[in-house]
Amino acid sequence: MLSYIYRNRLVYSVAVIIIATSSLLSVLIPRVLGRFADRLQHGNLSIADTAGCAGVLILLGLGRVTAAWTGRTLSHRRGRILTYDLRRDLLQKWGTLSPAYYHGHSTGELLSHALSDVEVIREFATMGINQAAAGLTMLTAVLYMMVVHGDWRLTIVGLGPLFIIPVLVRYLGPKIRTQSTHCQEALGSMAQTVEEVIGGIRAVKAFGNERVVIGQFERKVDTIVAEKIRFVRNSSLFGALVPLMANLGFIGVLGYGGFLTITRVITLGDYVAFTLYIALLRNPLEHLGQVLNVIQRASASLNRISELMQVVPAVRDREGALLDRPLQGTLSVNGLTFRYPGTKRDVLTDISFHVKRGKTLGIIGPMGSGKTTLADLLLRLYDPPEGTVFIDGADILQYPLARLRQGMAYVPQDGFLFSTTLTENIGFSDEAPDPERVKNAARITAVYENIERFPEGFATEVGERGVRLSGGQKQRVAIARIIYKDAPIQILDDSLSAIDTNTERQILRNMGDKGRPKARLSCKDKKTTIIISHRLSSVQQADEILVLDDGRIVERGDHAGLIKAGGPYARLWQMQAGLTEEGSPGRPGLTDDEAFIPPGLTEGLAAMQAGLTEEVA
Amino acid sequence: MSTQVQSQGALRTLLPYMRIYRARLALVLCLVITVVLIDLAQPYLVKEAIDRYLVVPNSNAEAIFWMAAGYLGMSLLSFGLTYYQDILLQYAGQAIVRSIRVDLFKHIQKLSLRYFDQHSAGSIITNVVNDTESINNFFTQFLPNTLRGCLSLILIMFFMLRLDIPIALYCFLLIPIVLIISLSLRRILSKTYREIRSRLSATIAFLAENLTGMAIVQIFNQEAKQQRKFDEKNKALLDATIFENRINVLLNNLTELVGDLGVAALVWFGGRAVIQGAVSFGVLYAFVGYVRRFFQPINIITQQFNVLQSSIVASERIARTLREQPEIRELQGASAPSVHGRVRFEQVSLAYRPGHPVLNKIQLAIQAGERVGFVGASGAGKSSLMNLVTRFYDVTAGAVVIDGKDVREWPLDALRQTVGIVQQDVTLFSGTIIDNIRFFREEIPAERVKEACRLIGAEPLILKQAKGYDTMLSERGSTLSAGERQLLSFARVLVFDPKILILDEATASLDSNTEAILQAAIHRVSQGRTLMVIAHRLSTVQEMDAIVVLDQGKIVETGNHHELLRRQGYYWRLHQSGILLEEAV
Repeated sequence: MLSYIYRNRLVYSVAVIIIATSSLLSVLIPRVLGRFADRLQHGNLSIADTAGCAGVLILLGLGRVTAAWTGRTLSHRRGRILTYDLRRDLLQKWGTLSPAYYHGHSTGELLSHALSDVEVIREFATMGINQAAAGLTMLTAVLYMMVVHGDWRLTIVGLGPLFIIPVLVRYLGPKIRTQSTHCQEALGSMAQTVEEVIGGIRAVKAFGNERVVIGQFERKVDTIVAEKIRFVRNSSLFGALVPLMANLGFIGVLGYGGFLTITRVITLGDYVAFTLYIALLRNPLEHLGQVLNVIQRASASLNRISELMQVVPAVRDREGALLDRPLQGTLSVNGLTFRYPGTKRDVLTDISFHVKRGKTLGIIGPMGSGKTTLADLLLRLYDPPEGTVFIDGADILQYPLARLRQGMAYVPQDGFLFSTTLTENIGFSDEAPDPERVKNAARITAVYENIERFPEGFATEVGERGVRLSGGQKQRVAIARIIYKDAPIQILDDSLSAIDTNTERQILRNMGDKGRPKARLSCKDKKTTIIISHRLSSVQQADEILVLDDGRIVERGDHAGLIKAGGPYARLWQMQAGLTEEGSPGRPGLTDDEAFIPPGLTEGLAAMQAGLTEEVA
Repeated sequence: MSTQVQSQGALRTLLPYMRIYRARLALVLCLVITVVLIDLAQPYLVKEAIDRYLVVPNSNAEAIFWMAAGYLGMSLLSFGLTYYQDILLQYAGQAIVRSIRVDLFKHIQKLSLRYFDQHSAGSIITNVVNDTESINNFFTQFLPNTLRGCLSLILIMFFMLRLDIPIALYCFLLIPIVLIISLSLRRILSKTYREIRSRLSATIAFLAENLTGMAIVQIFNQEAKQQRKFDEKNKALLDATIFENRINVLLNNLTELVGDLGVAALVWFGGRAVIQGAVSFGVLYAFVGYVRRFFQPINIITQQFNVLQSSIVASERIARTLREQPEIRELQGASAPSVHGRVRFEQVSLAYRPGHPVLNKIQLAIQAGERVGFVGASGAGKSSLMNLVTRFYDVTAGAVVIDGKDVREWPLDALRQTVGIVQQDVTLFSGTIIDNIRFFREEIPAERVKEACRLIGAEPLILKQAKGYDTMLSERGSTLSAGERQLLSFARVLVFDPKILILDEATASLDSNTEAILQAAIHRVSQGRTLMVIAHRLSTVQEMDAIVVLDQGKIVETGNHHELLRRQGYYWRLHQSGILLEEAV
């Protein structure tokens, strides 16, 4: 990071020089006034001289202000560009890191790097450099003036107390900062309580829990008061001490300087100048103290960021020659045993199966049986051990990541959507989504009519994580996303759980499950599909079904075979299908939830809206 | 015109709170005056020193010494007073804000559900948290700074006039100049700050989303596209911050420049006056000192306009909330009858908005201990019916009668105790599992909670958690599955033991294991209670003693599952169309 400053050393040097010049000019002003005072006292001043003096002052004023503006904005601009660069580089770095990293670091933590750490570094690169340049120049210049044109004893008496100021800032500053953080935290804690109570107000009212909740709130508010009082003690002390130090300096000059003037050691003009120097120095010295603090905080932030930049991605392209060919769709897993790095338990044990191109594999199992881990490995979000996962006959590790990503499509469990439009979400795999193709994908997943009924249709923004859609709609849009991508290998992880079985049947059929492509899209090439679920209706039609339990395959076969075998699959089937009318032909499904929730409505309003819209879904 | 009246009215809400601390606030005022005076004495002192003790032929070293010593005393006094005044103001301010916060929160708790349905959670939270914080800033920033600034300015002008009137008047010309510069640049700045805030939040929100969904971005190979979109927002932010910085630095420096020009002008005019003997040099020096002190107060005062504005807006919002009245009120002298669990709907009609009825003349009687399922299409009125039983809303016509007494005549406490509700989406709070199940009522013993969990079949899942019953739920229990949350909710019901239980069935499918446990839990929890279920599952509905079928706010059919199927009426059609989730999966 210091390399950044070095790279821009020209700009920074210029800025520093300009700022230093501004400080020098500022220091000249008391000197000019001092000279003026002397000549006034000696009576050899003409009207023309006053005009001349005034003119000089005007020039000095214009000069120092112009220099200050130029120098400071120059370095501030550099610093802000640094912020831009850092954030851009951070995202780029994060794009290369694999899920293992994201499991270990919360989004909030990562964001604080991009937010606070970057800002602190910027503060150093701008305010730090500016104030250091200005303050040090001014200090040196004043010292010079006071010693050369005055008296070194007066310098000590006058400036001595002032030097305590940066020390105060250095030591009280961080303490005050920490206190301030505590205040923020207390406030945040109160906010969280309010958020929870308001979010759960139905429960609070239903249980008549108002008194309890008010008590909790009061305790949080009391904490805030206590923290603020503690904070104010330190910050008020600091706020009163700094002017005191400045005053002590002033008193020194007033008294001792006056004495020296009377004894003719210094002139009246010097005396006048000195009082003005004291006033001039107070702020720069305070800023110098702040610079010391900024340096400390910035180095901590710099460490964190460079640590982050040096993280090696767990999953990356291997060295050497890679198999750079498009995927066809044959999947093979051989004796795969896997545990997450740094854990002690195997999540998958001895998994083997083979899926021919265009066939469908179903994977069934309870929560925690390793289904999602298997998906992660097939997608190479984690590296499987060498020689266990093969695509088109070659080890998955031999492919460049780009090829793998091109050739595979995935619907995650939570159907994660981005807060953009439906078109952009469905067409996510393209730089610029093709509207016709988007609509076709929506038709296949039976969500087209729903979307058409939305006020803005496909241009509707779905909100954070797709919050404006119902669970079923989100899943169908996520499936449409992979249909749009049209990759040879598709993996669906528990992606139909919020969809009723009728619609599920319809979607699976549309996707060419039975080799009867109904869609108008080019589902010509059959896709290798892996469906992971806990619902048997989702995998019923698969060419082969694997039953997973605790990381192992306990049963395998097709639906009919497994039912006949009478094992765990058959038992599950009895439990689940006992209430379904078996063999019923597909009926046009009324899907589970047609409500489109416009922005700003709470869950409670759904009830109200039900009454207002008079809609019978 | 009206906004001005409004703003005055808004700040008026603060008055009763301030009145309590008026003595302290008055003291603060005095202290501020003293401190400002001491600070402003400096140029005057130098003037005295120069004119009386230094320039004249008989200079007086001793007098200077005493003057310095005197000022030392005053400085120390000022130090103490500044510290004390800050603390005093903060104490008073914090106490005031605390009272406002608690009163506001208490008031909000009294309001009925309609308020919460009409106002988003975000706006209520902002009201309680941010608006009160703005009031805080009013006391800790606006008041002291404006006071100090105005006082300084007035006193400076006073001192100047005392020194020499013509020169003083010339100096006063600087004030409007600085004010104009300050105000106009500040207006640009506040617009810029708003812009920066919104661009920053857009950039960070985009980043947050990408971090959360990084797996998807990587799988779909869209890192480059997302990077590009991010760079756009990042660049927009950069441009705004560079602009803001330029204006900010300009503001600071222009003010300094005006100060320097003022000093130059003083040298020109004042110099002439000194030469002509009209004015002493000390006086000139004092003017120089005072002119330089002009600008900080002006700057600080103009800075405070923003704080004032947000304080006014905030107190307006707080006042508006405090004016809201709760709809659902308890009748004076209400008393609870003996509790059995009988529920009757007598010609009940409900319209959330006038002219849009949601329920129409519902007539229904439910016996104690009966299990009734309510089915119907989305919007048929099932939830609304339940809202009436819990008295979340009141009927528009007719009456809901529980155990022979109109719910409006029940004491609210007793009603809440008698009617329990398990919602579709279970609300859990930050706290341990035990705390959540007994809903933070510490008078309920932990044993009772564990007993309930055992009965309901929730214990195995609880013991699986890191610390069992004492596990702190993170992120409001979002790490638990939907089924697990429902189980905890059932345990909660058992602990609170209502006579009438309303269950709003979850619609999402759960894995069969949890489903079986849930069905067993429903069965157990309905023992000895009147159960009213908004049913979605076939398995649930088959178990019910009676099913009530609603359509557009009216009851169209009643009977049990098999009777209704035989009838081949509305229920039969609902069943065929798959609106009842057929699988208990």
